[in-house]
Amino acid sequence: MKTIEDIPDRQLLLFKSCMVGQEYPGVETSTRYVFDRLGVDYCINDEQSCCTGIGHYTDIFEGLTTTAIAARNFAVAKRCGYPNITCLCSTCYAINKEACEVLNTNTEIREKVNSIFREQGLEDLVYEKDDMNVRTNFYHAVEILLSKANKIQEQKKFDFSGVKVAAHHACHYYKVKYLDVLGNPENPQLIDTIAAACGADMVRWYEDRTLTCGMGFSQLHLNKNTSLQVTKKKLDSLQKAGVELMIHMCPNCHIQYDRYQPVIEKEFGVKYDMVHMNIAQFVALSMGADPYKVCGFQTHSVPLEGFLEKYCQ
Amino acid sequence: MMPYVNEYDTPECKTLAETAKKSIRTPDSLGLDRCIQCGACTASCPAARFTDYSPRHIVKKVLEDDRSVLESEMIWSCFYCYSCNLRCPRNNSPVTIVQVLRQMAINEGIGVEKLAYFLEIGEYLAENGASKIPGPGVKNMERDLGEHWIKFKKNLESIRVELGLSSRDIRNTHGEVQAILEGTGYFEREKWLKAKIQEKRLHQLLKNQCVKKEDKSGDFSFENDRGYTGQAALII
Amino acid sequence: MNAALDKTAVFICHCSGNISEHIDINYLKKTLQAEGVPVFDYEYLCSREGQTLIKNKISEGNLDRIVIGSCTPSKHGTLFKKCIQEAGLNRAMLEIANLREHCAWVHPDKAEATEKAISLLRGKLRRLENIEPLEEIKVDIAPQALVIGGGIAGITAAVNLADNGISTYLVEKDSSIGGNMAKIGKVFSPDKLAEECAMCSLSPLMNEVVVNPKITLLTWTEVDRLSGSAGNFTVRLRKKPRYVQDKCTGCGRCSHVCPVLVENEFNCGHMDKKAISLRFSQSVPKTYCIDPDHCLQLNGETCGKCAEACKSGAIDFSQKEEIIDLNVGAIIVATGFDEYDASQKPQYGYGIFKNVMTQMELARMLGINGPTKGTLLKPSDFSMACEAIRSSTGTCGNKNSSDNPSDNSNGTGTPKRIVMIQCVGSRDEKEGGNRYCSRYCCMAALKHSSLILKKYPDTEITICYIDLRALGFYENYYRAVQDMGVNFVRGRPAEIVEKPDKSLVVRIEDTLDQRIKEIPADLVVLSAAMIPSRGTRKIASVLNLSQDESGFLKERHSKLKPVDSSLDGIFVCGTAQSPKDVTDTISQAGLAAVRGRAFIADSPKALVNEIPTIDQLLCTQCKECLKCPFDAFSLKENGKIVVDPLVCTGCGYCTELCQNGAIQIASFMKTQLKAEIEGILKEGDLLGFVNSGIASLTCDNIGNSVLSYPSNVKLIKVPTNLVVDKDLLLHAFKCGASSVLFIEDPPDSPKAEVIYPLTVSHFEKLKKEMGDSGSRLYFKKAYVPNTKGLAGTFTSLAREGEMIK
Repeated sequence: MKTIEDIPDRQLLLFKSCMVGQEYPGVETSTRYVFDRLGVDYCINDEQSCCTGIGHYTDIFEGLTTTAIAARNFAVAKRCGYPNITCLCSTCYAINKEACEVLNTNTEIREKVNSIFREQGLEDLVYEKDDMNVRTNFYHAVEILLSKANKIQEQKKFDFSGVKVAAHHACHYYKVKYLDVLGNPENPQLIDTIAAACGADMVRWYEDRTLTCGMGFSQLHLNKNTSLQVTKKKLDSLQKAGVELMIHMCPNCHIQYDRYQPVIEKEFGVKYDMVHMNIAQFVALSMGADPYKVCGFQTHSVPLEGFLEKYCQ
Repeated sequence: MMPYVNEYDTPECKTLAETAKKSIRTPDSLGLDRCIQCGACTASCPAARFTDYSPRHIVKKVLEDDRSVLESEMIWSCFYCYSCNLRCPRNNSPVTIVQVLRQMAINEGIGVEKLAYFLEIGEYLAENGASKIPGPGVKNMERDLGEHWIKFKKNLESIRVELGLSSRDIRNTHGEVQAILEGTGYFEREKWLKAKIQEKRLHQLLKNQCVKKEDKSGDFSFENDRGYTGQAALII
Repeated sequence: MNAALDKTAVFICHCSGNISEHIDINYLKKTLQAEGVPVFDYEYLCSREGQTLIKNKISEGNLDRIVIGSCTPSKHGTLFKKCIQEAGLNRAMLEIANLREHCAWVHPDKAEATEKAISLLRGKLRRLENIEPLEEIKVDIAPQALVIGGGIAGITAAVNLADNGISTYLVEKDSSIGGNMAKIGKVFSPDKLAEECAMCSLSPLMNEVVVNPKITLLTWTEVDRLSGSAGNFTVRLRKKPRYVQDKCTGCGRCSHVCPVLVENEFNCGHMDKKAISLRFSQSVPKTYCIDPDHCLQLNGETCGKCAEACKSGAIDFSQKEEIIDLNVGAIIVATGFDEYDASQKPQYGYGIFKNVMTQMELARMLGINGPTKGTLLKPSDFSMACEAIRSSTGTCGNKNSSDNPSDNSNGTGTPKRIVMIQCVGSRDEKEGGNRYCSRYCCMAALKHSSLILKKYPDTEITICYIDLRALGFYENYYRAVQDMGVNFVRGRPAEIVEKPDKSLVVRIEDTLDQRIKEIPADLVVLSAAMIPSRGTRKIASVLNLSQDESGFLKERHSKLKPVDSSLDGIFVCGTAQSPKDVTDTISQAGLAAVRGRAFIADSPKALVNEIPTIDQLLCTQCKECLKCPFDAFSLKENGKIVVDPLVCTGCGYCTELCQNGAIQIASFMKTQLKAEIEGILKEGDLLGFVNSGIASLTCDNIGNSVLSYPSNVKLIKVPTNLVVDKDLLLHAFKCGASSVLFIEDPPDSPKAEVIYPLTVSHFEKLKKEMGDSGSRLYFKKAYVPNTKGLAGTFTSLAREGEMIK
């Protein structure tokens, strides 16, 4: 089990997420905004590639490819002296952590990956056992924020007290490597704790709190009806609980809730009163960041103007 | 066409259970043999709630070494949300077993048409070091999300610049990702998949002509939900 | 034949063909008789007739040394020793050659087995040449016993001990005895298909504890330290101040006037107790007790209302903690269980949703001395309804509860739909769960269902189970409850959902009809696992007892020694040992009392006399031996080193420590071991030195498992391999050993944890000292189940030896 004391704030490689970059670039800028103000030592490295998650979980990439690409990214992280991979996306987090475990424990795969590197003339990517530590080299940005919750509370500019907020913790953060979660994986409280530090009035429990967002990788595209039913279920229960703002920690959930909320409203003839944010956007906002130039709310599908007018004046 | 060999995801073994246990996709400590069919997985499963998918049932099939499970549409319903992985009291992991089953099905050419939708991801990754939503997905999203999203996508580059980011999220991998995908045999597999999909399309086309079936759902109904409504949860 | 052996005879047991069918007894007899040794054989030497034969031959032939060839000495060794003692010989004058497990059963070739049998007997004969009689070491055992824990297990054990004439101390950390059984209200009964009043069975027993002159009861007392050894333990107790003297009459006036309400642990945390109170109304002793954390007077405020109200002047705020040292011969640990903390499984909402409770909480609620006086209520309506009940029945348990509390049965607070969830924290491999089955929960759920349905027949009860374990006659009870109309759904629920009206929904797959169900409920009851109590965990570390991976106290052997702990003289029973119900607890507590009594009654205790002998002429008082890890050695005022037979484990580490050769282990003197080596070894043999504990048992088990190994494997039993030195090894190689194997006990018990590392470093040291022949020295850790592995090692090493030959 991870503990807050174990979370580092030095030598973090802020691992770029493809879905963040293409859909909600404000999540990346918000995280940087907050990290800068919390004195976190991090870097962003353009040599780092996609984790393969989207392809891996749509069954396109086999395990070997995923592991080899991950090994390359580990080499990038080590080479630049920022070995603590810190992800914006929960799938990047899970993929990297699992790949590291395979590389450390499965000699056959490790040797195969290294032989591919050698054949391709990429000797400097060769991965030696325990080059990375599964438990201590992989984090989600939300864990860093949680470890700085007190500082966030000190630096907040807006007080969100009275805003009814609910959290959606990402499945690939707490259900894949459930032994390495901060707190009990059956009742994750990371976002709740951070948002509460910003003054938000947290709805700690709502029906189907642990239900997945519904994206389901290929499901959104191949079984859209089922996919949206799952999403709707969650939105329904949040609506019932009177939630005004839903906070998540993964661009996939973000797409599913923010982009598809209007679709569900149209297709199922319902109406929802909530808006969506990534936790980094919410923290940045509460610390006084510009909603558009930092948080990038103009990229959202569910408009935030009303919310901002109401609470950020 | 010969089946595809994918020795790490689907190692050649006597039984499905052995393959699942040895696969790179499943954890070392997989409690597959210890399954007591308690149904905690199915009760926790979002797909089971809205369709007749059942991870418990799939595990049972695997333990019975019933290879017909590979032909079953069921294995394509999993959300990969890992709820079963979190809940199983015997440390079994139906979600990763289903991943192995899908890979086994793909090797035999079953369900490969579902992959056509996503094949672009590999090429794009090799070229740009990043992934993106595949072309057909973008089309779907344009249709579903409408003008607002289309406009946003058009403005993405200027929004990124406004946020202080590079105009496009492209990574500089020095061609290394391309080389790795070649080394792992990804491109070979992609070629095999494309050929297999083509073969199945032809086959389907011939069949359709023979029975003269009226089906206007377009190319392999990618954009449609399969007529697979499932059932609502039952209240007793 | 050696002159020392002219009064020696060999006795061979046929073991009803077990030996005689695999070994040519006639050939064996002829061979040894030709060497001048009289040999007798008999069908069953262990029978009364067999023993008479031995005794007769001893007196007829005026024999003074005996060799018996039979089954393993660990089976009948004690019997045969007693036999020759009865014939007037010293115990040391008998040697037993293991012709069954080490010969007949492991060597399929009859000729080879016979040859080996002869060599083993020769070894024992040679050994007897050098034997000297051993003095018996006897110590008196303290005639009292201590029972730790005053639940049903401890009470039963204490009463049984007392009934058998043993003075017994019963120590309880709470202010009253009774334990968990006092909490549960009703107990299930296998034969009557009915629930019995727990207190009705328990109360008379608790009173017996008080009136029995052989029992000294110490409540509100904890065990701090243990010293001494089996038979003579010194136990340090800490008796906490009650602030109420024994002259308390239990009238309850103090509690009535006390202004402070505190959380009532007995009622699962309800705020229905005063800072001065009895644990429950039938408490034994019926002496009130002040909660020092909440009493105003004890926390510097002026109050003292209880002292004013007390007519017998029993309140005493100046009481101090007392330290008590007891000297006891045996200890029984009965420290019981705690209920698993169900909040570790947030998916079931315990601690999050008001209307989720555990079976123990339900038991309290159904108990007529519980927080609701037996009325079934939804906890969400609890405080309101509870207030009503309390005002109608009066505070502090005055007995005017004539209003029937079940009048409320149609009120809004009564749950109509109850779902019980089994295996919460049991049969669960996930973090925070327990792998074992808690054994009692299926029956507890059935019992509570039956109780509820009898009082509230309209209630709909659903039990969600994975396997319903109603063992033995309990199956009848299960059938009876089925007949009452309880629903059973097979599956482990995923989660519980709370609706805005505080009602609940249990989400589960009914695996029998393969459908996901959402079962609505007003109340959900979690059958939470039984885990070792905090007291059990604490006592394990105070007494240094072995625990299993879950923290329960480990018995020495689940079948043969089910209540013996890992330490001599300490016994364990009840749920401190493993999850079990009241019935099993009582049976086991009875056995623990019998074992405890037997241990005490065996006084004076004859100690194992295979302990160090110190040659005072060679001893230079260098004090190296004081490094004994068990502190068995001490330097007396007269300058002599002495060994405490009570503490000594006979491991032989001192023989390695002593540089002057002054210390040897009785019965394992160098001369004896050398003689045995000379007797048994032939060129090319593999010699195994076997630790007389687990390792020896494992060697015997090879025979029991019908495995085989080459007959040139010869084994000699030693206390541990620490008694084998370089000189002995050189002698073995000289006598033809191809290689030497040390077979050691694994570090599985507190004693072996100390000894094992010593044997490993001893082995490594010897390997270095032996130079080139060090490569012929091997080491093997022997686990009892791993007979195959050990036989394999024997075979491969013996083959290697043959190749060298």
